[in-house]
Amino acid sequence: MPHEVAIYGVLVPGLLPVFLGCLLLMVLLDMVVGRLGLYRQVWHPSLFRLALFVCLFGAAGLLLIR
Amino acid sequence: MSTVPIIESVPASSRWPWLAEFLAGERRAWIFVGKSLLAIYIAAWLAMWLQLEQPSTTMITVSIVMHPHSGMVLAKSFYRVIGTLAGSLFGLALMSLFPQQRELFFLSLSLWVALCAGGATLYRNFMSYGFVLAGYTAAIVTLPAMNNPLGVFDSAVMRVSEVLLGILVAAVVSDLVWPERLRLLLRQNAQAQFNMFIDFVRDSTAGNLPRAQMEHANLALARAAVRLEDMRASVIFEDPEVHARSTRMRLLNQRYMAAATSFQSLHHLINRLQRSGSPAVADALIALYRPLGDALSPGLAQQHQSAVLATRLDQCVAQLPAQVAALRALLTAPLAQLEFDTGAALLLRFVAELRDFAALEGSLREVQVRGSVEKVHFKRGNDIPGALVGVLRTFLTMVVLSAFWLASGWPFGASAMLLATIFSGLLAASPNPISAATHTLTGYTAGMLAAFLVVYWLLPGGSDFAVLIGASAGFMLIGPYLSTRDTLPGVGAGYTLGFVYILALKNPMVYDPAHFLNDGMAQVAGIALAGAAFILVPSVIGSSWQRTRQFRHLREQAVLAATAPLEGLAWRFESLVRDLFQQVVTYTRPGSDESRSMLAWALAVLESGRTMIELRQELAAGSHIAPAVRDAATAATHAVARLYHDPDTARWREADAAVHAAIATAADQPLRLHLYQLRSALRDDESPFAAYIPPPSPESAHAA
Repeated sequence: MPHEVAIYGVLVPGLLPVFLGCLLLMVLLDMVVGRLGLYRQVWHPSLFRLALFVCLFGAAGLLLIR
Repeated sequence: MSTVPIIESVPASSRWPWLAEFLAGERRAWIFVGKSLLAIYIAAWLAMWLQLEQPSTTMITVSIVMHPHSGMVLAKSFYRVIGTLAGSLFGLALMSLFPQQRELFFLSLSLWVALCAGGATLYRNFMSYGFVLAGYTAAIVTLPAMNNPLGVFDSAVMRVSEVLLGILVAAVVSDLVWPERLRLLLRQNAQAQFNMFIDFVRDSTAGNLPRAQMEHANLALARAAVRLEDMRASVIFEDPEVHARSTRMRLLNQRYMAAATSFQSLHHLINRLQRSGSPAVADALIALYRPLGDALSPGLAQQHQSAVLATRLDQCVAQLPAQVAALRALLTAPLAQLEFDTGAALLLRFVAELRDFAALEGSLREVQVRGSVEKVHFKRGNDIPGALVGVLRTFLTMVVLSAFWLASGWPFGASAMLLATIFSGLLAASPNPISAATHTLTGYTAGMLAAFLVVYWLLPGGSDFAVLIGASAGFMLIGPYLSTRDTLPGVGAGYTLGFVYILALKNPMVYDPAHFLNDGMAQVAGIALAGAAFILVPSVIGSSWQRTRQFRHLREQAVLAATAPLEGLAWRFESLVRDLFQQVVTYTRPGSDESRSMLAWALAVLESGRTMIELRQELAAGSHIAPAVRDAATAATHAVARLYHDPDTARWREADAAVHAAIATAADQPLRLHLYQLRSALRDDESPFAAYIPPPSPESAHAA
């Protein structure tokens, strides 16, 4: 994926679609984990979710943007 | 009705309970102050670090979004993101349409802001924020670029980045740092609602409830249903577990409302039978009711455990038909049998609904969510004409301001318009806008004075961010602290907004006292005008005009129950009636004639409407029903609908005759029970129809 993508002639950082994709992924993950009740196993669910999101976004950003 | 312990009481070991309470309240307040300050300064620092144009926009966003409960912040943020994106797109479109024609531009902008403010009054949760912010963002994107139309795109990108950064910081801080969870409150409320309902049903096993008590209970039930839905809509943003259970919670609320309606109908039927000289039937129904009371009394320890109750209710459902047959055999007269059958069918429906309600409540308490459930929605009763009044008021405010700006060439017109935009939207949804505007204006002015001190006395000479925090934090924390006091609504929010706005942090900081004073005056003028517009075009929220219309809307629901397409109608009907009912009752004095007549009508609408929906569902399901019966039943529902639409004696007679004819046509079909119930509701001499019932003539009474 390039560093900048053109959307209708407007250059936006390539990280933006990655960010949105990660948000979507996070919502899906939340749905699955929420149904299974797994967040009860961690000490601070919101911190855990933020950390999980940072991991997802960091990994996706590093791997996808060349 | 027994009282329900909502929160487990704290052991009374503390010697000064008021002190402990005071300290707990203060602790919560100071946690909120700390979180707000943390979020505001992190946002400011990030905005400067990212070299955004106006760090103050980011700080304003944080101060608007912050709320003691994390769920509220996330819900507000979610709608604010949507509002911001919609507003900035509209701002861009507007600027590209009218780059040179200022008059047209201002007219369209005023209309947009007005529509957004009107939309905000339609919603009573944070969706209204989305609307307010859509209007506000269109203004902040375009107004600074007024003299430089080519720069509007950059301006839009900057503003949106600043706002989104603010939202992100506010959401992360309030979710991570000492989060105050709304989830616990939701659980307590849901539990209290369940317990209250079960206790109420158990305690009324004697079968005889005075109408006033029923009305009172129904009001409490409607309030609980609406409050639960409001909370659910915010908590889903806070907690993925609640989000995964969201559909279930909606269905639970709907089942609860459905069961409450059946329960109320059953009791009214029994009461009517007792009054109208069929005590034998009433006693038989009360005897039939007893197993339900037994099923709900598994012993003190288990009486609120939904799983236990669901099993016991299931057994009760299985045993009921045998008891129905036994009790029915004792009654010989055909009329008595019809009366009994109607009551028995209602009771069966109620017990089955109660069982489903308890079973669903039990499934919500499990750690894992299994399977999926029917999707239902809580329909709100929106008041369109009321919203149009809000649109008109905001439009006038904005047009007056922009005309003045254009005519006078006021250099600070943009500031006045921006502030008017925010407050027209925020105040439009407030029940008492003039006092809210006064409070906000007081807070805002105080905030500006504090900012003046900070900017021209404490800040100059400072060189880094730590000095900035040291200089401003002492004055900044007054705002969030004030907003935790319920006695001063709006002052705290106004203070924070005024302080942050006029502080106008920039990197590097600009010191210009003349600009400061001019800008300050323009902002105060903007808020004052937004508030003053409420004197010219008064707020309709809670006015008797709106109440009358909502009342008519409530009666219209019975018409919808008789005529609207059946798909999802039952859910829509139950939630809409409760929502409308709750809205109207909020603004009537408890115990007044108006309030009592509202309650009586709401109960009548619920009972008749639900019966008509059941009747129509039966008509739709049974293809074997003879056309003559079908026509007669449809004619009967339409006659009842006409009666609800515009009640008077002639229509009451027509409706009564039509229902009577339908009962005669539908000789031995299950339809007959619904029709009989409808007729019995019409003839209830304690319902609002009592005024229209002609004195009984010998041949028409009990001729069914």
